Amino acid sequence: MSEQLALLPGYLTAHLQLTLVALSVGLLASVPLGVAVVRWRRLEPAVLGAASVVQTIPSLALLAIMVPALAFVGAIVSSVFGVEIRSIGYLPAVIALTLYSMLPILRNTVTGISGVDPSVNEAARAVGMTDRQRLMLVQVPLALPVIIAGIRTAAVWVVGIATLSTPVGAPSLGNYIFRGLQTRNFTAVMVGCVSAAALALSLDSLIRALEIGVGKRKRGWIAVPAAILIGLFGYTGYTFAIGWTDPQPKPVTIGAKTFTEQYILSELLGLQIARETGLATRTLQSLGSTVAFDSLVNGDVDVYVDYSGTIWATVMKRQSLPEERGELLTEVREYLAREYGVTLVASLGFENTYALGMARERAQTLGVETISELAAHTPALEIAGDYEFFGRPEWRAIRDTYGLEFGRRRSMDSSLMYQAVRESQVDVISAFSTDGRIAAFDIELLDDDRGVIPPYDAIVLASARLSKTMPQVLRALARLEGRIGAAVMQQMNLRVDQGGQLPRAVAEKFLAEIEDAEPAFPLRTSREPEVFR
Amino acid sequence: MIELDHLSKAYDASFAVQNLTFDVAREELLVLLGGSGCGKTTTLKLINRLVEPTSGSVRIAGTDTRALKGHELRRRIGYCFQEVGLFPHMTVGENVAITLGLLDWSPGVQQARVCELLSMLGLEPSEFVARWPHELSGGERQRVGIARALAAKPEILLLDEPFGALDPLTRDRLQQSFQQLRRELGVTGVFVTHDMVEALLLGDRIAVMEAGRLVQIGRPREFLLEPATDYVAELMETPMRQTKQLEALAGKDSPGDQGPG
Repeated sequence: MSEQLALLPGYLTAHLQLTLVALSVGLLASVPLGVAVVRWRRLEPAVLGAASVVQTIPSLALLAIMVPALAFVGAIVSSVFGVEIRSIGYLPAVIALTLYSMLPILRNTVTGISGVDPSVNEAARAVGMTDRQRLMLVQVPLALPVIIAGIRTAAVWVVGIATLSTPVGAPSLGNYIFRGLQTRNFTAVMVGCVSAAALALSLDSLIRALEIGVGKRKRGWIAVPAAILIGLFGYTGYTFAIGWTDPQPKPVTIGAKTFTEQYILSELLGLQIARETGLATRTLQSLGSTVAFDSLVNGDVDVYVDYSGTIWATVMKRQSLPEERGELLTEVREYLAREYGVTLVASLGFENTYALGMARERAQTLGVETISELAAHTPALEIAGDYEFFGRPEWRAIRDTYGLEFGRRRSMDSSLMYQAVRESQVDVISAFSTDGRIAAFDIELLDDDRGVIPPYDAIVLASARLSKTMPQVLRALARLEGRIGAAVMQQMNLRVDQGGQLPRAVAEKFLAEIEDAEPAFPLRTSREPEVFR
Repeated sequence: MIELDHLSKAYDASFAVQNLTFDVAREELLVLLGGSGCGKTTTLKLINRLVEPTSGSVRIAGTDTRALKGHELRRRIGYCFQEVGLFPHMTVGENVAITLGLLDWSPGVQQARVCELLSMLGLEPSEFVARWPHELSGGERQRVGIARALAAKPEILLLDEPFGALDPLTRDRLQQSFQQLRRELGVTGVFVTHDMVEALLLGDRIAVMEAGRLVQIGRPREFLLEPATDYVAELMETPMRQTKQLEALAGKDSPGDQGPG
């Protein structure tokens, strides 16, 4: 609990940076737009329609779409103006959140102004107000309670949805939730949810108090919430300012995708870099699968662990496997260096491959040991895979080569699959071979007897920037070459997933154990969480 | 003072006001009388350009109203209507001072003027300046509306059934104080009503409208003696008949009605 709470200031600050900026920009854009809609009614279907469409896009998807959209815009901008735009991290998140905040404010502005009593409007004209004066002195003030109600709705939405910024690389309170769900650390999930809810309610009540104060023209009611809000904005602005002017060198950033092994390895790499080089490090966790690689390419992430087969299939878009399986790693290494300047620093020594898994008893009953033997039974069976699995080329290759025709298939969170297959809720799962629960739950991995599934060697990738400027970091990481066997990785995963240990603690223990005669540098890492800079 | 010259207003194909020509003399109160939908309200709004005419023109003190911008014109003409339209987010004082603010009067002068107006309309300034519109009775609200209309010392006052929504006693009291006030101030007024009695009692002259056209214009007495059309005669007949019925009722009841008939 206290370990989780120690991360709170950083995540909360990052969350505030996202929500306050998104709300402010949303507000500044929506109210004038709403006024324009009232004045030129012909705009109404287009403007409100567009805002509603944005609202119907699932929030996680909207955030994810921002990444390629921004990369596209960024490419144009950088070729025309020579300015680099980061397509992951803070910017895509804050743009998506701004768009989300707009509908309630926009709609309430239109409703509020349209709802002003016609006789009051007539009086405003009759006493000699211009259209602008009527707007500023009568319509907007009278619509204010409705507009503020819209702002409050937007505030609550944005605080909630901001927790989904984590996978696009923008830290937020969502980091608690994503990491907690993946590593089955429900304390982290609770801390994330409770603090997000508390922030939403606080913002809502602050705005509400301000509204009451303005309505009643009571100084105290206005002064207190206004002071707190100004304080929040001031603090957020201050954190931006130090982020920009920080004279300290940027810490080495280690990325992690959204599963346990990745959390452990990111901590492990961080500790290794820190103890070997003394450099400050930070982790950027819970990145979407392709976001992690994109971040490495554009330099937001310096180091992370990926898997050779994943790069082969999703980055290099290769269909068939090389004849000699060992060649795959060589080709991946050459390709990454050639196309992206990315260095393959080390192969850790284990594979985390996709494998079809079944409860051992069930497999024995059916008499199935290989995927070929499974094929005949598939029409009567149900398969579960993680969100990506059925969309990946590997799945198509397995399905088509073996002629698998499962009766039903189901996508679910990878952390829940193992439990599901153990309890016979599904028959077959797309297991990750290093997951500790395979051994713990007595799950049998079926043999890929026709060699369709590519090798998934865990490889440490370093960005072009890091490769050029910090060779000592590469040297430190290269020492991990071949040091982590599959059994060790399974055990570490199990300690987190079932044993309730923190990824960092598991990583520390591992490094302490492999500590041989080498002199250790004093541990010094920046434990400051991933505040946007 | 106010001259309407072949003034027409058409909505789509139908005329709300058609070819209206009449004058209002300085310090005169002209009552526009007619049933609902006869175009009397539109006529009033054509004078301060809340509605723009389709054809024809309005001159005030000899100048075409189109020489000024609409909002500048309206700052010089008081306007008061049945719904009053007080600004609910402003106090009584702020409501009355609104036009003064638009005309950039200094705050001190505004304040003095607001007090003057409220006392003029029988509202104790110290009690009413800081009140909110929703705290007022119907009669008080209408008084504030008149005060707001008179604030910038307009020479012209336009009134659209200002007392229409009030109970009879309040209406009578307000009619009297209004009559007194407009004579004291010497404002020129156009007063729209569908109430015959109100028209006869308040108007220096009456103009009767029917279906967007002027039917008869003249002094109240002329309407009683020489109605120009059957419609006008019918309009006059109702109050006359009611008066007779009231007299008859009073005559029958007063001496003998001590017990059940």
